[in-house]
Amino acid sequence: MPFVKQFDAEIIENRPVTESWRELVLSWDGLAETPAPGQFLTLRVSPYSDPLLRRPFAFSGFVGRAAGEAPRASVIYQIRGGATRLLSELAPGARLDAIGPLGRGFPQPGAEETPILAGGGIGLGPLLFLASALAEIGEAPLLVLGLRSLSLLPRIELPEGAVLCTDDGSSGFRGTPVDWISRERPESRPSGGGAAVRIYGCGPAPMLAALSGLAGDRGWAASLSAEQWMACGVGACMGCALPRSGGGFLRACADGPVFDAGEIDWKACL
Amino acid sequence: MKPDLRVRIGGLELANPVGLASGTFGYGSEYEDLVDVDRIGALYTKAVTISPRPGNRPPRIVETPSGMLNSIGLANPGIEAFIAEKLPALRARRCAVFVNVAGSTEEEYLEVVERIESAGGVDGYEINVSCPNVRHGGLAFGTDPAQIERLTRALRDRTRRPLIVKLTPNVTDIGSIAKAAEAGGADAVSCINTLVGMVIDPSKARPVLAMGSGGLSGPAIRPVGVACCYKAARAVRIPVIGLGGIVRAEDALQYLLAGAKAVQVGTGTFVDPRCAISVLEGIAAWMEARGLARIDDIAALLRD
Repeated sequence: MPFVKQFDAEIIENRPVTESWRELVLSWDGLAETPAPGQFLTLRVSPYSDPLLRRPFAFSGFVGRAAGEAPRASVIYQIRGGATRLLSELAPGARLDAIGPLGRGFPQPGAEETPILAGGGIGLGPLLFLASALAEIGEAPLLVLGLRSLSLLPRIELPEGAVLCTDDGSSGFRGTPVDWISRERPESRPSGGGAAVRIYGCGPAPMLAALSGLAGDRGWAASLSAEQWMACGVGACMGCALPRSGGGFLRACADGPVFDAGEIDWKACL
Repeated sequence: MKPDLRVRIGGLELANPVGLASGTFGYGSEYEDLVDVDRIGALYTKAVTISPRPGNRPPRIVETPSGMLNSIGLANPGIEAFIAEKLPALRARRCAVFVNVAGSTEEEYLEVVERIESAGGVDGYEINVSCPNVRHGGLAFGTDPAQIERLTRALRDRTRRPLIVKLTPNVTDIGSIAKAAEAGGADAVSCINTLVGMVIDPSKARPVLAMGSGGLSGPAIRPVGVACCYKAARAVRIPVIGLGGIVRAEDALQYLLAGAKAVQVGTGTFVDPRCAISVLEGIAAWMEARGLARIDDIAALLRD
């Protein structure tokens, strides 16, 4: 279990990448635990009581301590409500109370598994981090990104060979990443094992449910990152419960946010 | 001169008046990396029930103006797993540990306390008769003075350790409920538990929480908590422990001025895990600046 730390982070960058998305780059002094792709941090965006709770954000990248330089972590977030609106108004140089790294990240692909990264909307963030981590170990992961429309394409460099899907067909493949993967990767896992696919997914609940269904049909492995309201972020409050397959609940913050597709009843999350 | 921060609950002396409220700090280990728990006066565990409870359907929480609603539903592993898996680490704590006990019948409360009494290793109990989030979560006890007194008396017969009864603000007169707990033999009352609240999403025309309503906590409820403490402290002679929306030392001081002998930080820990520590430091600094020797001296300052 990595060491979780609360630190005073400085905003290095907080730049618009679409009309409603921002890329936030943070830096901090002192010891830094290296986050894994899929892990998250929580930020207190206001010193006052409204908004009150910390907000969780998945890491979209991390650069460890280089010669004389403090570590830098980035997140990509969407302005959805008051807290993210306030966050978007903070300028470089401002400081934020941050806690991380938190949660369980994405597992590495098995030796015979081909990774396919499926992102929906703002779910892109942690997959960018995963793609760069996989590239570092010699994998060439395929990223399939789904957006409603081309106008929502972020001004962020995507991994080479990334496939763009749009709901309205304004660019790339018309349809969802699940549609694209179903069509372009028809092969099931060969009986008796052998080469197969591991889906890494992050996006809205209907997409995760569909990815779980597709992986189940094809006999693929799937690691899916779930989203839920959180209060503590460290596994204490039981607020971020998700329905577990076969009954009971799991905590998005401490048991996840990345789950094996079979662990969660994704249809019940809809 | 450094003030004396010690406070007494029944026969137990706490190193200082600041506690970590039940349901917000798990069983103590979850915040291990972030908080030096041993600096705190008391840790109140997540509620323990006789049988394991998975808790309510999600969504369980939603933020509200300066607060939050929760409908966790007393999710906990049950008394057996609590004793096997949680108690050993709690025993090793240097701060006082109170087990928060919940149930839906008198027998369930008694059995949980009896089981922990035989296992040993905790400092006392906080009896949760005020959870608004389960159908038989004790709120029926918590709103009826006669039932509170009977339950407290039955528990009193089974333990000599400090017994704290946690009161709900969802009543007409909290003073009479506090009196009933005192009459039953409680060593202290803590107030307040959450207020019942609801948030409706107009775009979906349905409540945000799966269970409909939940318990409101955070700074939004602080004035209610302070008023309840003020009232309870004037109704009973046993100590009153104040909680509800404490995020800064000044908030805790309001409770202590209202007559509370100790306080708990709950939702404030979610906002900043070090909240309870900074509240404690702020209380000590405030007392020192005013030359106050003991916690009791704070309440004596109130002009009303």
